[in-house]
Amino acid sequence: MSDGTRWLQSVLVTVPGEVRKFSLLLCAVVATVVSPLCQADANAGKVLFSQCAGCHAVGPDATNRFGPQLNGLMSRGAGVADGFDYSAVFNQNVSEGLKWNDVTLDAYLASPMSYMPGTKMAYPGLQSSEARSNIIAYLATINIDGRVEEGTGTTSEAAITVKQAEEVRPLAIDVPIPEHGVLHLGRLALEDEVVAWDIDVRPDGLGLPAGAGSVEAGAELYDVQCASCHGVFGEGEGRWPILAGGQDTLTEERPEKTIGSYWPYLSTVYDYVRRAMPFGNARSLSDDDVYALTAYLLYLNDEVDESFELNADNFYSIRLPNEANFIADSRSDESWFEASVEPCMSDCVEGKAAVAQRARVLDVTPDGE
Amino acid sequence: MIHDSSNDKSVAPIPGNSRRSLLKKGLGLGGLVGATLAGARTAQAVSGDPLITEVQDWNRYMGDGVDANPYGSPSKFESEVVRRDVAWLTADAKSSVNFTPLHALDGIITPNGLCFERHHGGVAHIAPIDHRLMINGLVDTPLVFTMEDIARFPRENRTYFLECAANSGMEWRGAQLNGCQFTHGMVHNVMYTGVPLKHLLAEAGVKTRGKWLLPEGADPAHMTRSIPLEKAMDDCLVAFKMNGESLRPEQGYPLRLVVPGWEGNMWIKWLRRIEVGDQPWHHREETSKYTDLLADGLARRFTWEMDIKSVITNPSPQAPILHGKGRTVVTGLAWSGHGKVKRVDVSVDGGRNWTTARLDGPGFSKSLHRFYHEFDWGGQEMFLQSRAIDERGNVQPTKNALRLARGENSIYHNNGIQTWQVRPDGSAENVEIS
Repeated sequence: MSDGTRWLQSVLVTVPGEVRKFSLLLCAVVATVVSPLCQADANAGKVLFSQCAGCHAVGPDATNRFGPQLNGLMSRGAGVADGFDYSAVFNQNVSEGLKWNDVTLDAYLASPMSYMPGTKMAYPGLQSSEARSNIIAYLATINIDGRVEEGTGTTSEAAITVKQAEEVRPLAIDVPIPEHGVLHLGRLALEDEVVAWDIDVRPDGLGLPAGAGSVEAGAELYDVQCASCHGVFGEGEGRWPILAGGQDTLTEERPEKTIGSYWPYLSTVYDYVRRAMPFGNARSLSDDDVYALTAYLLYLNDEVDESFELNADNFYSIRLPNEANFIADSRSDESWFEASVEPCMSDCVEGKAAVAQRARVLDVTPDGE
Repeated sequence: MIHDSSNDKSVAPIPGNSRRSLLKKGLGLGGLVGATLAGARTAQAVSGDPLITEVQDWNRYMGDGVDANPYGSPSKFESEVVRRDVAWLTADAKSSVNFTPLHALDGIITPNGLCFERHHGGVAHIAPIDHRLMINGLVDTPLVFTMEDIARFPRENRTYFLECAANSGMEWRGAQLNGCQFTHGMVHNVMYTGVPLKHLLAEAGVKTRGKWLLPEGADPAHMTRSIPLEKAMDDCLVAFKMNGESLRPEQGYPLRLVVPGWEGNMWIKWLRRIEVGDQPWHHREETSKYTDLLADGLARRFTWEMDIKSVITNPSPQAPILHGKGRTVVTGLAWSGHGKVKRVDVSVDGGRNWTTARLDGPGFSKSLHRFYHEFDWGGQEMFLQSRAIDERGNVQPTKNALRLARGENSIYHNNGIQTWQVRPDGSAENVEIS
């Protein structure tokens, strides 16, 4: 058996039988050929679901978030999450007989807002049909109690280990030793590899890509990609970060540290959105998308007007208001630092100690049950 | 913490989140206390202890064989000894933190499964064979290393503490969380096996203009921090083992940066790239977060070192005194990002009088140190404090001294002296005293 077939076999062994029935969307046309690509992969779906997890919970403790909890979605019926305030159009679809199955959920996930105009699900849609079927396969493994059904579980760690162990490699006896460096270890990084990973942007302009984006375009993107966590006006939903406002609050008892009130450099906004946002779907935005969102965040912070377009040329003309208020580490100026005097050992404070404040009064420590 | 809660909704308590069972829970912690309570309170037994006079199940019936537990776990009686989180601190468990149960541990090494976790996009699971480390930027030869390449460099074994800069950050405005797991549990201490970063940099050849590094993670947060080159050349490691075994996934498997004595956020996990540059990058985690806002509205940045700090782990709110008056052991941990801990003093009267504690076990630089103070307790109320001093002469300050210098909005770098009130019944509480 070649290494290739052995690998294939070990993968197939780990795909639970229950999961296979969800593969029909992809596999119908090639039903006579057994290909691993045909198998909807609940494990891959579990990874993909992290895109959804900002709004939808699954599991024994799942509660409704911005979207309903999804335990037992494929068997419980549509629109039945206790306590979730579904949109009018969603309820109407349910009353007209909407049922979630491989076909309807696939169509909904492809573009929620065109499948059901007026839905609360502010998600642009998942382009890849393979990804959609994987997510559906994953959701089908979760029962109404939020537990993974026996026999439909995602691949165990042990199965993954088996896959690795089965890979056989020839010894690298004849590989030439590179000339670079001291110990001659590693290999040259290729230009396209550096380009793929080196996406960082600095305040002096190093790393900023070409491109442009308007406040107007940013507003559309923001409402779909960001508002569910950061709030429509950047005010922050729940405990998610506040992005706008808070000017002149830094000396108050409850400072609001936002892009407008606290962040020193605009390049940080561009860099961070580009590398880490949206939460659960990092690196999915184009460079122009990031320009547009950065422009819109400036607008939400009253730094530009609604007709503004941000681009690589005007980027460094924008300075954030709090830039000058960052200073170097000055802890060494405090009295305890490298103290020249031996600390007091007896009768150091007058009078007996008395309680000034107790943790129990606040009662915010978890029980841990 | 809590980094994402600095917009400060963080002090809003959750109504009804009761803590009244904590003392009871404390009684169960560690398992053995419940069983020995009666004996401990009785000076002389009046009838034979059935645990001695009768044959017990575990004396009679066979236990598990060697094939039952290929990877061993703690005793079932230790099930309370776990990392715990504080749900109200952050918006989502995938960008959050949990806490090391310091009150249930001893010695200086933190077991791998109890090392606190803090990540920003969940735990990445990366097969070592799929992992790459790139070095690029101001270098003679941009390079890519596999895990196998890294294992061919000279390795070193060193023990360091890792403390989150926000450890004790919830206590700036006063006593808030009732247990040293929550007030001080964002620290762990591990022996790392890894390659000195300077060896990897030498392989690529840092250009003379190169003064700063930007390590980057392979997780969905693509975490980055700017680190001065001098630190990298001094003592940073690129580590792949912790306490002898491979890094745990939540600690950056298969590869993490070790930045001894400096704030935990800089110890990039799932390390995939190091860029060399001539200036810092001022990225999100060193501007919007991990900068220390002062009372006057100015903010300190690049506050990297973790200062001299200590805490008494036993007794503490989760680990009350159950044995009554008489011989008592107070123990705790001390550490400094500036080197070794030289001395720890303990006070039982809220800092009026101090006694020097006994340091025991290995005392490595930038590592946790264990201290003990044994004495006869008369059963009176105590205000327990510890005060550490490091080899550079830094003396752990009081919380009030820090507040006077910085205000209450710094979030990070709270290394102030902790007070536990111990009542005559042995129960303990996080308090601030006059």
